[in-house]
Order: sequence, then structure tokens, then C-alpha cells
Amino acid sequence: MKNSRKRSIILLLLVLSFFSGMIFLITKFSTNAEKWAFKPYNLHLSLNSFADAGRIYDTNSTVLAESIDGKRIYNEDSQIRKAVFHLVGDESFNISTSIQNKFRDKLFGYNFLSGIDLPSFLRKKSDVYLNVDSKLCKLALSELKDHKGAVALYNYKTGEVLCMVSTPTLDIKNLPNDISSNKNKDYDAVFLNKILSANFVPGSIFKLVTAICTFENIPKEALEKTFECKGKEIVENEKITCAGYHGKIGLKEGLKESCNIVLGNFAMTLGKNNMIRTAEKLCFNKPIKTDIGETKESYFNLSDANKASVAWSGIGQYKNLVNPLHMLTIVGAIANEGVAVMPKIIKENKNNFLNHRKSKNSEENCIRYTTKDVANKVKEMMSYTAKSSIFYKFHNFNTCLKTGTAEVGGEKKPHAWVTGFLQNEKHPVAFIVLVENAGSGFEEAVPIAAKLLKEVTKET
Amino acid sequence: MYYVVETLMFFVRLLLPFFSIIIVYTTFKSLKNNQRIKTPLISLKNKTAKKQIPVMFWENSIGRSRSSDIVLNDPTVSRDHAVLFRREKGWIISDTNSKSGVYVNEEKIKKPTQIYIDDILTLGSNSLIVKKKDSLNFDDGFDILSSSEITSNKRHINQFLLLLIINFFHFLISLETYFTHIREVKKEKSNFEFKDIFDLDKMFNCLVPFLIILMISWVFFFITKIVFKRKNFELEAIGIFLSGTGILILASQNKVEVIQIQIVSLIIGIVLFCSLIKIIKNLEKISKLRLLITIFATLFFILNLLIAKEHNGSKNWIFIGPISIQPSEFIKVAFVFSGASTLDKLQTTKNLSGFILFSAFCICCLFFMKDFGTACVFFVAFLICSFMRSGSIRTIILSCSAALIGMFLILKFKPYIAERFSVWQHVFENSQGVGYQQSRALTYLASGGLIGVGSGNGKLRYIFAGTSDLMFSTISEELGLIVGISVTFSIALIALFSRSYSERCRSTFYSIASCTAGGILVFQSCLHVFGSTDVLPLTGVTLPFLSLGGSSLVSVWGLLAFIKASDDRTYSLK
Repeated sequence: MKNSRKRSIILLLLVLSFFSGMIFLITKFSTNAEKWAFKPYNLHLSLNSFADAGRIYDTNSTVLAESIDGKRIYNEDSQIRKAVFHLVGDESFNISTSIQNKFRDKLFGYNFLSGIDLPSFLRKKSDVYLNVDSKLCKLALSELKDHKGAVALYNYKTGEVLCMVSTPTLDIKNLPNDISSNKNKDYDAVFLNKILSANFVPGSIFKLVTAICTFENIPKEALEKTFECKGKEIVENEKITCAGYHGKIGLKEGLKESCNIVLGNFAMTLGKNNMIRTAEKLCFNKPIKTDIGETKESYFNLSDANKASVAWSGIGQYKNLVNPLHMLTIVGAIANEGVAVMPKIIKENKNNFLNHRKSKNSEENCIRYTTKDVANKVKEMMSYTAKSSIFYKFHNFNTCLKTGTAEVGGEKKPHAWVTGFLQNEKHPVAFIVLVENAGSGFEEAVPIAAKLLKEVTKET
Repeated sequence: MYYVVETLMFFVRLLLPFFSIIIVYTTFKSLKNNQRIKTPLISLKNKTAKKQIPVMFWENSIGRSRSSDIVLNDPTVSRDHAVLFRREKGWIISDTNSKSGVYVNEEKIKKPTQIYIDDILTLGSNSLIVKKKDSLNFDDGFDILSSSEITSNKRHINQFLLLLIINFFHFLISLETYFTHIREVKKEKSNFEFKDIFDLDKMFNCLVPFLIILMISWVFFFITKIVFKRKNFELEAIGIFLSGTGILILASQNKVEVIQIQIVSLIIGIVLFCSLIKIIKNLEKISKLRLLITIFATLFFILNLLIAKEHNGSKNWIFIGPISIQPSEFIKVAFVFSGASTLDKLQTTKNLSGFILFSAFCICCLFFMKDFGTACVFFVAFLICSFMRSGSIRTIILSCSAALIGMFLILKFKPYIAERFSVWQHVFENSQGVGYQQSRALTYLASGGLIGVGSGNGKLRYIFAGTSDLMFSTISEELGLIVGISVTFSIALIALFSRSYSERCRSTFYSIASCTAGGILVFQSCLHVFGSTDVLPLTGVTLPFLSLGGSSLVSVWGLLAFIKASDDRTYSLK
């Protein structure tokens, strides 16, 4: 019998492993419960989903979404509803980065202790305040017209995102019934917030990265060295083409004229390693962290590039892809003496639940992309570009910018880009505009940016 | 007006976890109280060594080996020389293949022989005189005060109270179910009035299952106390607590027929519980019965394989007219029966080959039925049982490596199982495919939080196998994670009970059987809880006591009988 007692330890071991498994499950539960609960197929949600959730406000305290009498009501202006669709989100959690998805636990008042079915009078639901200005979004949407594209504006000193619009978009109040079938492919990427969750061929706006790399590695040549542009150049049996015939040209003029030959040659001079190092310092190939989630990463890879490919990559073609919000942080860093402030969509002061986060511009929220010196030199060149006569629309404000026309291949028209910032103490705003398959950046993207900057500087 | 209902319901939802904790705590406390002070039964006076040897257990191995219960440190004594055990009729000594033999009053014994006080036992060069326990010299530190006598009165009241608390817990579940129905009325009606709170029809529906369980529990209680004259009721109380909770959760939405089957199964289970205890009381009969039961179980499995049709992917059901049963559940009980053995048999027949063969046969049958979860349960039962019998770690290592090879082969030849392994810890990425059940289980588990959404208000029960293979999550969703954990902890408590009995029981037969049964219950709960919540990559076993399924409920009560039998107070002394 002594043996029986001794051997029954096997049962004790089994019970102990059961207890430890239980502890593991409880730990997993307490950290992930909210993630588990909010799934589109959860019938507790679809039956009384947003019947009783908190409000979402924009920066001017305009209500973007609220729940009244068991119904979710959105802003009465259909254009505002469409403009902030990707930001506010729908009720079926189709947009993963939307507020109604990311902050649903706060909006619902859910916590893993009480579960999902707490009586409404006991639930502690919170409102969410955004930095975004819905009027600015509405303007951006109307300027984009029917084009697919994306517009974002942000304060490069504080990181507050003022405007974030992505098209195609939907009116949450009148959602079409045939989205799920998507017969005519009308609804491709309709649930995608392109500012956060997509990346595109950058074209000439990438030349800013090449310029930064040049100043970092060969600052002397950057100011003095010139190349001969004859509209095209043959590198190892591959042709590098340029839209113009610029003759003898250096970096400063090259950026202004957006000359491919100059930037391509600089890229080749710098070589793969220097380009890769700069790109990595500028956070390529990794996501940018925002308070509503991470962006899709920008892509830069020269691992099997030949010399011509390096040149093409230096002028924003080859395999390069950029995420619009990431690109916005790059121009933001140029404006902000080399330090990129990470974008913030949620207002910090007004809501209690985010107060524990570190205050503005703490180290976590800022990344030094490059040195102050390099940033200022590139800034000067961008400013020189903006002062060019063709950008007369920007002459009223002290702007720095770079346009881009990115070839996307096939029969499609190129993507039109413009990105830049205001040198304005009152309005330290960086902007990026993308109009997909629209044509030249100067013709299609620049007018939109000009309208928005006018609006931003108007309101005081 | 409706707010009154909401507030009341919320209050009930808070009370349920509270009471579930009290129930688990009370049973745990009585488990601790049960640990009595050891008292010797008789004593042996060693003439040669001039020492008094207390005999502590009902079955004692005597030998030179250090692990013997009575150690005779003498080279003329074999390592396992004899077994001294107590049966209904008195004390018996049995020679377990010793070299020099056992002599009672200077006569060599050939078969187990009954001995009396003042008989002289000779083992090797040792002569032992059988004495009453009173003749012991108490200065040795043996306390003969029987603590059970002192505390029995108090414990009796505790059990009464415990059952009342369990009844109240069940009443709260029914009340919650009623509130859920009121809520449903409110959803359909725009103007909710005071009279809507009282819906006699619904009240009746919610109260009837509760009243039936109340009745069953008290009838059971009084039969145990008055007819069987047993002092303790904790194990039965846990069984009632678990089964009743399962039935009431099922009753909150399911059809009447389902509940009827479940209640009838509970009654059959309790009857089986009582009769099994009676059957295994006589240890001499058991050895004959064991072979019969093993043969019967084998035939039952073969029958199952022959006539079963595929049902939900596995072939473990047989349908006899309107009744469907799951043979593997009953074979679990038979398996425990055939695995356990008394100490004198253990000492004489040391090899396990018969039992290994039977286990391998059972596990193979389950593989053919594609019931891999149950196969795992049988495997663990085999491990526990063989370890309890032989104490050899080598057997365990060998069996485990055999199981690993088996697992590897399964993964290679049964791709759909490998598929389940591949989504392990990634169920949400496959929430429409292989991870369907697990992702739903986790989502609704989280929806319930710690206090639950209310009995009958859950959504997981409508998912396939929601009230059988996913029952833990369903209970946690509706009654809250605290109740879910309490319920599974009380199953673990049963296993701890069986371990605490393992030394004091009347025969190794009971200790092996109860540890195996306890192991089956805990391991099956492990598989169920961790399989459905994606901690382990396996699903498809029921939660003991709680899941929907008559066969499972009956067999679980059968297993409980082994644990109850191992308590030495179960069989009252003459």
C-alpha cells in the first residue's frame, strides 16, 4: 500500500499539469480577450452591435458617429461620411485600422471582466476624439473627384494627422448591397485605407531619398558635381530615359526639373550599399507605428539589382514601393530638422484612456531619419523647387515640395504624386497627395495640394 | 420596469460565480478535513527482534525490500515474501512465491490462509505473533484516538449545507434562464409592462428541470445516509453539482426530449454508481469478474466496429432502435475494472502483458473508429494503471515512445489531423476552415467575460458540437469564466480525492482503480478544455459530467464509483 501511495504521484502530476494549463489559458484570456471577442462572426455583436457605443469626434468636436436610441448615427453630411469612412469604419469591422474596429472595446465599454453583455447603465463607454478635421477631409475628397487616390496632411512638429482620405470610398449610411459579390470590381480595395495599408510606386518623389543619401555620403559632390542630360543614357545596355533634355545639370536643378539622368547617376555613384543604408535609416522595409496600428511597410530592395536598376531605383521606379504615410514622415523629417514625428490620429488630451501614453514627442514617438544639416540642405532644394514659376499657386505660402509621376507599367496612366510641407510657424503642415492612374503629378496632384494648403492656412 | 429585470439578472449573474467558488472551497476543505490520523489495525510482535510492528493498511506486503509495507531486514526473507491482508471474514496471509515459504503455527501454507490473534507467523528466521492493536506500546508515538469519531458530527452538517448550496446554485441558473426568456419577450415587444415579468408558462419550463434535480439529489442523499449508512457525501455532491449544472445549461434552450434523455441518464448513472460499489465490494469475486468483463468489453468493441455507421466523422455510435449509445464510454469503466488488481495478485503475477494487449486492442479499435480523442484518454488511463501496478518508469517511457511513433504515423497518413495541427495557435487565421470551432469557442469565451452573458443567452451552443465538444466554452460564455473554472477545478478535486484515498483504501484494487478513474476524468477535462481553447491541437472529447450525451454521463458516474469505493469508509464495518 505504501507503493500505491507513492505511485499515485502520477495522478498528482496530471492534476498539476491541468492547473498549469489552466493558468496559461487564463493568462491568454486576460491579455487577448478583447481581440477574441470582437470578431465579425460574433452574434452578440451583430445583434446589438453599435446600439449603445460611445461617440467619435473630430478635432473641432464635430460628431462623426454616435448611438441614439439603439442606432448608430453618422455625420449628416454625406460627403463627410464618405471622406472619413476609412477612419471611422463600418459596423462589421471590415476596415481593420478604423476607429470603430481598433477602439471598439472603449466605444462599447467592454472589458474581459464583465464580458460583452453588461447592462447599459453599468457600462463605462468612452468617446474617441480625433485630430482629424472632417471639413478638410471633405475638401480633399471633393478635390479627388472620381479618381482613386489618397490624401494626407499632418503636423510635422506634433504628429497630429489633420486629414486622411482614401478613395474609392462608401457612404456608410447607404452601403450598396452587392459589395460582397463585387461583380464589376467596383469595390476593389474599398475597405482599404490607402494612407495606412497600401504601398505604391513612388516615382520622382523618391528622388528626395536619393538626395538625402547624396548629402549624407558625398556632400561636396552634391553641391558641385554635374552630369550631362541628353534625354537618355545607356548603362550596361539598358536605357535610362528622362522626360526632358536638360544638358549640363547638377542636383539642385535636377530636383527642380526632376531630371532622371542626374538622380540616376548620383544613385549609381553612391552604389547599392549607401542607398540601402539610407533607406533603412529612413525606415524602409518596416512598418511605421501609429496610434491606430502599423502602416504597411515601404519596400526597397537592391539585392539583385544591376547598375541600371540602381539608377532606376534612385529615381523611384524599379521595385520601389512607398506607403503614403511613411513618405509623409520623410518629408516631415526634412521639415523638422531630420526628426520624424510619428503620426497621431487620436487626440491625447481629451480622452482619459490614452493619458497613460507618453506625452508628445517623447523618444518613442520620434525617429531621427537624418542629420539636421542634411535635412536643411534638402529642404533648401525643395524650397527652390517650389519657387519655380510653374508652382505659382504655392507662392503665397512658404512651401517646399516635390512632385512625382510614377510609371506603373501596362497600358495604365502613371500615378500622380506631390508631397511637401509648409515652412510656417503657425501651420507646420506636411502633405502628400496621390492620384492613381491620373497622369502627371504637376497637373493632377498639385492643384489638390494647393487647395488644401489654402484651406489650412485660411483658418486661424 | 424592464430595468428591474436587468438589475436582478445582473445580480444573479454576480451571485453564480460567488457560489461556485464557495462550493469548490467547501469540498476542498472537507477533503483536507478527511485526512485522518493514522491508526494501526493490528500489530505483529517480532519474537526474534523483540519489536512491535504496527500493521497500518488493509493490504500489506511483507518482505526484505525497502518498499514493503512491513520490512523484515533479514537475508532469509525474500524481497516480496508475503502479503497480509484483511477481508470480510478476517485477516489472511498469502505466500507470494517466496523462497523459504510462510508458516502459520509452524505449518507451511499452500494457499491464502486465514489467521487469528495469537497465531505465530514464520517468515524465514522471523517469528511474528499476531496481536490486537491495543497491545501496542503507545509510547512509540502512535495515536489511536480516532479523529473520525470526533469530527463526524460536524462533517455531517457540512454535507447537508453543501448540498443546499448546490441546490441554490442550480436554482440561480434556472432563475437566470427565466430572465433570459423575459429578455427575449422584451426584444419582441415595444412596450414592456409589469405583468410581462410573470410568465407562468416560462416559469414552469425553467423550474421543472431544477425541481427534478433537486429531488434526485435529496433522494440520493437520504439513500446514501440511511440505506447505505455512509458518513460522507462529498464526491456524490460534486457529481450532482456538475451533472445538474450541465443539465440546467442544456435545459435553458434545448428541446424537452434532449433534457429527458439527460435526466434519465443521470438516474441510470447514479444507479450504476450505487450498484458498482456493491459489485466491487467483494474482492474475491472481482478476480473472476475481471476476465468476464474484459471479454465482454472486447466483444462490445468488435460489435461496435462491425455495426456502427459513420456519424460526424467517427464510427463510435451504435443505434439500437431509438436509442443511440457510445460503447467506448462504457468500455472506459470496464477498462478500469480490468486494469486494477489486489496486492497479492500483483506480487505474484508481475507481468503486464495481458493488460497491455487489452489496452492496445482498445486503442486500435478507437483508431479504426477515428475517435482519436478517446484513444488518447485510453492511452493515459493505460499509463496510470500500468504505473500504479508496476511502478516502473521504463514502461511509461516505452509506451510514450510507442505513442510518439504512432502519432507520427497518424500525421503522415491522416492529413486532416495534420491540418488541425497546422492551425494550432493560428485558429483565427482559419476561422472559416479548420479553426472554425476553436475560434468560435474563444470568441464566445471572451464575450462571456468573468460573469457570463446569462444562462440560455449564449451563442456558442448553436455552433456544431457547442454543447458537447465545446461545453466548457459554452458554460463559460453563459455563466462566466469563474464558473467554468470552478467546474473544471471540481473535476480536478475529484482526482485529488482519489489520490488522498489511495493509501487508506481496503485493497490496491481500489487504489489502482480510483487513481485510473480520477486520471481519466482529469485528462479528459484537460483534452476538452485545452483542445477547444486552442491550448492543445486536439478536439472531440466531451467534458465529464457536463457535456450533452447520455452514455458519457452514465460512464462518468461509473468511474466515480471506483473512487468512492476506494474510500475505506464506504463499506461500513461489521
